[in-house]
Amino acid sequence: MIFNTDVALQNAVNGLLIGGTYATVSLGFSLVWGILNIVNLAHGAFVMLGAYETYWLFTLYHVDPLASLPLTAAALFALGYPIQRYVINLVIRASFLVTFLLTFGLELLINSGRSLLLGPVVLPLVRVATFAVAVAVAILLHLLLTRTRLGSAIRATASDQEAARLMGIPIAHVYALTFGIAAATAAIAGGLISLSFPIYPAMDAGYTFIGFVVCALGGLGSVPGALLGGVILGLLQTYTAAWLGPNYDNLVAFAVLILILLLRPAGLLGRVQRFRG
Amino acid sequence: MTPRTFGLGALAAAALAVAVAFPVFAGGYYVRLATGIFMFGALASAWNLIGGYTGYPDFGGAAFLGIGAYTTGILMLRAHLPFAAALLAGGALAVLAAVGMGTLLLRLRGHYFAIATLGFMLVLRQVAANLPITGGGSGMNLPIASAFTPFYYWMLGTVVLGALGGAIFPRSRAGYAIAAIRENQDAAQVLGIEPLPYKILAYASNALLFGAVGGIYAYWFTFIDPPTVFNIDFSIQAVVMTLLGGPGTALGPVAGAIILKILDTILTNISLFLHNVFFGALVCLLIIFAPRGLAEVLRRRGGIVRAIRAELEDSRV
Repeated sequence: MIFNTDVALQNAVNGLLIGGTYATVSLGFSLVWGILNIVNLAHGAFVMLGAYETYWLFTLYHVDPLASLPLTAAALFALGYPIQRYVINLVIRASFLVTFLLTFGLELLINSGRSLLLGPVVLPLVRVATFAVAVAVAILLHLLLTRTRLGSAIRATASDQEAARLMGIPIAHVYALTFGIAAATAAIAGGLISLSFPIYPAMDAGYTFIGFVVCALGGLGSVPGALLGGVILGLLQTYTAAWLGPNYDNLVAFAVLILILLLRPAGLLGRVQRFRG
Repeated sequence: MTPRTFGLGALAAAALAVAVAFPVFAGGYYVRLATGIFMFGALASAWNLIGGYTGYPDFGGAAFLGIGAYTTGILMLRAHLPFAAALLAGGALAVLAAVGMGTLLLRLRGHYFAIATLGFMLVLRQVAANLPITGGGSGMNLPIASAFTPFYYWMLGTVVLGALGGAIFPRSRAGYAIAAIRENQDAAQVLGIEPLPYKILAYASNALLFGAVGGIYAYWFTFIDPPTVFNIDFSIQAVVMTLLGGPGTALGPVAGAIILKILDTILTNISLFLHNVFFGALVCLLIIFAPRGLAEVLRRRGGIVRAIRAELEDSRV
């Protein structure tokens, strides 16, 4: 009995720690989806770029992975802002299929433009630090959205674009900032992933899917929702891995997605109405 | 039958006659290229049924392609069935899977439907990589066919089936119901149309074509593994070709497949790396400048430039 309790506890810890990473993956995805109403298929590519940047900063310049996170985040912000400002903003009011496919095209461009072809790389496990960073990023983003002028502008734009414009909010700029912030959090997620998991060029699609499932689970555009959704998914995958084997994590994520969409489409902490206006 | 549809029909019949005779006078390379064009023409026509006519953007068509490929492969290799029988079983299984999954997924709308179908495909890829019967991650070798020209005719058959489906579908009772559902599902329900069975019909037709293409593809290439057949590129290319040629039309998806596949072949010959960059850039440009298809831009009065400018004004911020 004691042995079983230990296993259950260990699973709980592992699931919680993985969940932190999932939450970081999903924060930016949720932000872009909730605020801009775009399902960003290039999100996983941002995560992948962040992971590789962290790896290279460590390999070439021996920058500690956790210390390089702000650098990685800044770099991806600098990539994300112009993508939104000068590309996605062109079609932001078109149907969802249009923005969906555009981000897929961007994903292809980013993934084929990246010339860093290398095999799986595993760095030492520091999952506790990873989890702490994940929670810190979530708290910072939450404060940014709720306590600052920029956050008010972002939320105002999300709830009523026309009214926000009349109040003097530069919509195109706010959209681009939101996208840049999302890309930056994706980069942090990638950096954290590179600490504990293998990284490889084709990792992007799987993480985009994780981002989507966590958003659907926790609720769209909600920072606490992303944290809760990430942790729940991490726990579920860890526990099911104990009896299904470790190779069916997508199956678990998919089952969770279908169940939540059929039973509670707004997500656990969903406030879809607030963000759709 | 209006003169215009009659003319189009005559043109299609003439094209079909040329296509049937093509392998007699063309070299092996061109027959292979045409087989690939037909393959994607069939996929685009299939996507057009669910994504174009019904308005449910399926991004997981590769799930059915994979089901068709693996069923055909397993039945030929382990049960020693002839190709035609195995292919039939593959198509049937794809339809069954579509009916089952469609019952769940077609209740979702918009982004949710799109991502859920994508997730379904990722799940099947993972399952195929872990089951012993599929050969797992190392894939599966099929018997090698004695001749390769038959694959040309198999693929021609599926693309003709797809185009015929696209021509007949909108004129059928089910087609009118589907159009009503696409325009306004709630209003359709008020008129007494039960949406789910019609949506499942469109989804299963799409799955049948994807499954058939998968089975032919498996025997044609003789090697399949999870990432090659459960590959999102099949789904996305089908979408892009349909958008290029004109969604909701019978021959548009085939036209899109011909244009894109030929461009793609030229670029692949120049550089394999460039080919991916090109495809990504093409998707972006097409989506930004002609989200309703190239045909729509050409059809507008006042020239292409004005049409594109009007399109941009409509959707930018």
